[in-house]
Amino acid sequence: MAHGKEVHLEDNIQIGEEAASFSKVALGVGGAALVAALALGGGPFGQQFQQSYIVAFMYVLALALGALWFVAIQHLTNAKWSVVVRRVAEFLAAQMPLVTGLAVLAILPMVTGHSDLYEWADSAKVQANHVLEHKAGYLNLKFFLIRCVVYFGFWTLLARHYLKQSLAQDSSGDASINKSLQAISAPGMILFALTLTFASIDFIMSIDPEFFSTIFGVYYFAGAVACGYSLISLALIWLQKKGRLAHAVNREHYHDLGKMMFAFGVVFWSYIAFSQFMLIWYGDIPEETHWFHVRFDGDWKVVSGALLACHFVIPFFGLLSRHVKRNRKTLAFWCFWLLAIEYLDLYWLVMPNVSEGVIPFHVVDLLALVGTVGLFLGSAANAAKGKNLVPTKDPRLADSLAFQNI
Amino acid sequence: MSDETKQSSESGEAPLHGLLAEYETPAQLMAASEKVRDGGYRDWDTFTPFPVHGIESAMGVKSTILPWLVLGGGLTGCTVAVGFQWWANGVDYPFLISGKPFWSLPANIPITFELTVLFASLTAVFGMLALNKLPLPAHPLDLKERFARSTDDRFYVLVQASDPAFDEKETRALLEGTGAVAVEAVPEDVKSEAELPRGIVYVLLILAAFSTIPFALAAYAREAKSPLPRHHIVPDMDFQQKFKAQRENTFFADHEADRPQVEGTVAVGELHDDTHLYQGKEGGAYARTFPPSIAIEEATMQHGKERFGIYCTPCHGQVGEGDGMVNARATSLAEGTWVPPSNLTEDRLRVMPVGEIFNTITNGVRNMPGYGRQIPAEDRWAIILYVRALQRSRGASVQDLSGEERASLK
Amino acid sequence: MAAADYDSWYKAPKGDNDLARLTDTVLRVSEAPTPPVGWYVAFALAVSMLAMLGISIGWLFWTGIGVWGNMHPVVWAWDITNFVFWVGIGHAGTLISAILFLLRQPWRTAINRAAEAMTIFAVMCALIFPGIHIGRPWLPYWMLPIPNQMNMWPQFRSPLDWDVFAVSTYFTVSLLFWYVGLIPDIASLRDRATTTVRRFVYGIFAMGWRGSSRQWHRYERAYLILAALSTPLVLSVHSVVSFDFATSQLPGWHTTIFPPYFVAGAIFSGFAMVVTLLVPARQFFGLKNIIEMHHLEAMNKVILATGTMVGYAYAMEFFIAWYSGDQYEGFLFQNRAFGPYAWAYWAMISCNVIFPQLYWFKGIRTSLWAMMIINVLVNVGMWFERFVIIVTSLHRDFVPASWGYYTPTKWDFLTFTGSFGLFFTLFLLFCRYLPMVAVAEVKAQHAHSHAGH
Repeated sequence: MAHGKEVHLEDNIQIGEEAASFSKVALGVGGAALVAALALGGGPFGQQFQQSYIVAFMYVLALALGALWFVAIQHLTNAKWSVVVRRVAEFLAAQMPLVTGLAVLAILPMVTGHSDLYEWADSAKVQANHVLEHKAGYLNLKFFLIRCVVYFGFWTLLARHYLKQSLAQDSSGDASINKSLQAISAPGMILFALTLTFASIDFIMSIDPEFFSTIFGVYYFAGAVACGYSLISLALIWLQKKGRLAHAVNREHYHDLGKMMFAFGVVFWSYIAFSQFMLIWYGDIPEETHWFHVRFDGDWKVVSGALLACHFVIPFFGLLSRHVKRNRKTLAFWCFWLLAIEYLDLYWLVMPNVSEGVIPFHVVDLLALVGTVGLFLGSAANAAKGKNLVPTKDPRLADSLAFQNI
Repeated sequence: MSDETKQSSESGEAPLHGLLAEYETPAQLMAASEKVRDGGYRDWDTFTPFPVHGIESAMGVKSTILPWLVLGGGLTGCTVAVGFQWWANGVDYPFLISGKPFWSLPANIPITFELTVLFASLTAVFGMLALNKLPLPAHPLDLKERFARSTDDRFYVLVQASDPAFDEKETRALLEGTGAVAVEAVPEDVKSEAELPRGIVYVLLILAAFSTIPFALAAYAREAKSPLPRHHIVPDMDFQQKFKAQRENTFFADHEADRPQVEGTVAVGELHDDTHLYQGKEGGAYARTFPPSIAIEEATMQHGKERFGIYCTPCHGQVGEGDGMVNARATSLAEGTWVPPSNLTEDRLRVMPVGEIFNTITNGVRNMPGYGRQIPAEDRWAIILYVRALQRSRGASVQDLSGEERASLK
Repeated sequence: MAAADYDSWYKAPKGDNDLARLTDTVLRVSEAPTPPVGWYVAFALAVSMLAMLGISIGWLFWTGIGVWGNMHPVVWAWDITNFVFWVGIGHAGTLISAILFLLRQPWRTAINRAAEAMTIFAVMCALIFPGIHIGRPWLPYWMLPIPNQMNMWPQFRSPLDWDVFAVSTYFTVSLLFWYVGLIPDIASLRDRATTTVRRFVYGIFAMGWRGSSRQWHRYERAYLILAALSTPLVLSVHSVVSFDFATSQLPGWHTTIFPPYFVAGAIFSGFAMVVTLLVPARQFFGLKNIIEMHHLEAMNKVILATGTMVGYAYAMEFFIAWYSGDQYEGFLFQNRAFGPYAWAYWAMISCNVIFPQLYWFKGIRTSLWAMMIINVLVNVGMWFERFVIIVTSLHRDFVPASWGYYTPTKWDFLTFTGSFGLFFTLFLLFCRYLPMVAVAEVKAQHAHSHAGH
């Protein structure tokens, strides 16, 4: 029925002024917060800054990787419904160079030998610990830096390529670009899976260098994908509030995004988290259980319980109904919810190893988060300024506009 | 189906069930549906070979309550699963497995999940059938030959005569104005019975009654007491083709399953011709020395101490003074028939030959039973060595200790 | 029926419009007076294999588990390998029905019916093995929460009991899902029936379905709900099967990635089996216009994707085994790849990870012969995967003195091949008597794509 509906794309698919002012505010607040975090957290080598920053950094990385995954999977499956949504994700994913810059702050303490988080980066500690000695073949600075170059280099190249080609199609209308992007996405997805897995092992799992879990990469992936869908939905809601994309994006698209948030952020995450927890709990082998033990001890017990309630039980019933997913206001609420809970999840992954039994909450945690997210969003808004928010000449655009859920 | 039937003017035989209109495409059906809907009809329906999208709004069908039923079914399944696992493994029959708590929620989640899905799915299917009033064996439309294409390639509207707004002429005019291929009257089905044939009902009832018999028998068997052995449908290893000890066996002349040792033979390892080692005697008298095969050393003593702890302490006490638990209990009962066990450290036993002590352990004395069957000869000698040490320790002086040991006591 | 008659029967569908021709194309397969000759040959073969299964199980019950090669320390061997193999294959049907339905993949309608049927038959084959491997096969009800003569309840904390619930729930829900989908098509068969017997039997199973739109409305909602419920269910089933292994402390079994890894492997093998069955079925029964090449190609793409995921899991297992620093883990994986069962390990790697990579090439993805060969290899590889997981983890345990080497007996072979007999017998009966394609859904799709929404 929606076929043949004319959408005046030219009228409302670009954002200039508002994006510029948003970008200015976000970059300003973000930069100031980051400086404040550095000042209050004891500089780049201060322990407080290091621990707060690694959580904030992995969070922003999850946002970027989530968006990148979204773009890649849409190309890979040649998805039609998502064309009107894809450009926003492309802008978010394309902030990878900024994320790479943020990574430098996370890596710097390791390189200079000031790391308070990564025991394996300290050769004296490695020699004193038999397990670390064994792992030194993988967990050593040189190899780690090489891996970082591969991770961030690959993500940057892939994300920029998607955006560049997609923008090029806006002017040329070349339909073969879809084909080539689909072809790239297949091997791209394999590399994406490997880089994301090892990055999550390097940056998070190795904070407890004795812990190991084969599912760890998938766990971080689930959270990142949920973040991606939530952030894309929020960005669209914001754009529509500003009067953009008024007809192009409708409740059918939100419904689909909401379904994916439900699928990944609630069901898949819980499935992976439960698999990891239950198998370790049941097997009850000391070298694994100690990781959960610190997380079920003292104040962390409350956080673990909160994760169960807020990452599964509450959003499960909250997002179950189709009406919630098709309503912009309720969907926005659950987007914020899932984004907040992902931060809590990362906090729970990192902090118990730093501070057993006590939640080490500090204002620097917040400042680092505001800083990195502010820079990320500001940079994305800046990139989107004055550009088409919809791939206008994608041959699948008409299908996407006419898309209806069953 | 509505039971109230309005008399049809056309057909004299059967009352009119309704009017049926046939269409060739879904689009025609949609347009017709909108007209019928706007005509204010209530008892009418459309029939299509596949679900036509948008027909709900064209017909004004309200959304089904099925999702809520399914939610209820799922929650029931969840509650039943958690509750039952808690009750069965945590309350009614708790048993410990690999150190897990009796009620372990993480281990209950898989079954809880499965039952939630099972209950929800069953509710979805049977709820859908119930709401759709299926199974429905007979329908007046079955008598219309052209209606057979409803599951093939044609689309139909049926307006029932039971509808308050139904008027045969007006309704027919309305339907004919929708571009129908044909509009036909549908008579009520007077031939098919409204209920199942009596015969089938009786057979089903009898079958249902019979099907309860096994359950009734099982329930009875669980409560009833019987002197007869239970039925063994599958005997497992309860009955084996072998002769058990102390049973009759007609194969042998003496009718005993146990076979005595063949006369004039000695089993391997049972010769025991060393009287010193096995009887504690040398040349008919009790030996005063340990047999040469028993090494007099710390290890033997420790072994003897351990065996003493197992076999002797219940009566003779930890240090052999005759004050073990059995004695304490017997004395407290004060029944007067109790012969207290000997104090092993008393002077009489200090000078008793080791061979005689060996004989006592082996064959018993007074109310002490013989332990020869239970304790190997070497172990009995080791116990005697330990008893000698106990005797020595009573009344020993400081001078008996070495310099180091004395120093450690300070 | 002579060959010429037979050809004409299958070639030209009757009907004056697309919908009628679609109905006829699918339903005449079960209305043909006799099936193709190939069907008889295949059926005779399948039934004799089924007889073999019956004899093997009979001999097993009569004699005991000793007829198999299972021997300490390899106490689980082909029995559990076959169980996991069949359950894995049984994942594709519900997955195609449910997940692809939710993801609105239009190519699913051509294949979902046959895939669902295959699921049910595969799960039946799977259920045989845990049933017969328990030693006292007359007592399986001890696993269910019904009062028994010992006044004991099942051990709900045991993964083996979770399996009972997961697989039986899965079987029930798959059966319901399949049946609900069949109702409109059985109604079509009933309305086209020419004999009283056919009308009566199909009429019973159609339950009086007449295609009322008010009923369709609830029907579609129920179908959507079943799809939404089946999606997590299908993921849970193989996850629970993986728990049978992963909750233990045995190196090679105890690893956290097992649940998603098993699920990916199940989809992988299930899809391969669906393609293996559908390629000949569409040739024999003249369904080439409904089960088109691009449907098969899409399936092969999924096989490529899931095969790569399985490869990812193999790699992670290996990496973490080294990374953990646990000497037993390290030894196990070394032993898998280079020990006495290296042949099985490399068979698994080549069939599951290497051969499917050929699907990167469109020419291979769309060649019937290539896909038949590769997909059979995939199933061989997936059988070996379960064999490798079970046998190589067990045969060299913590005590070198108890190490051993497992060799199957002829009864192991006969039971396993016999289970294919059951599978193919049921599948061939299904092809003959029930609509192999979900006609109503295909018609709906056809109507929508031609009416321009």
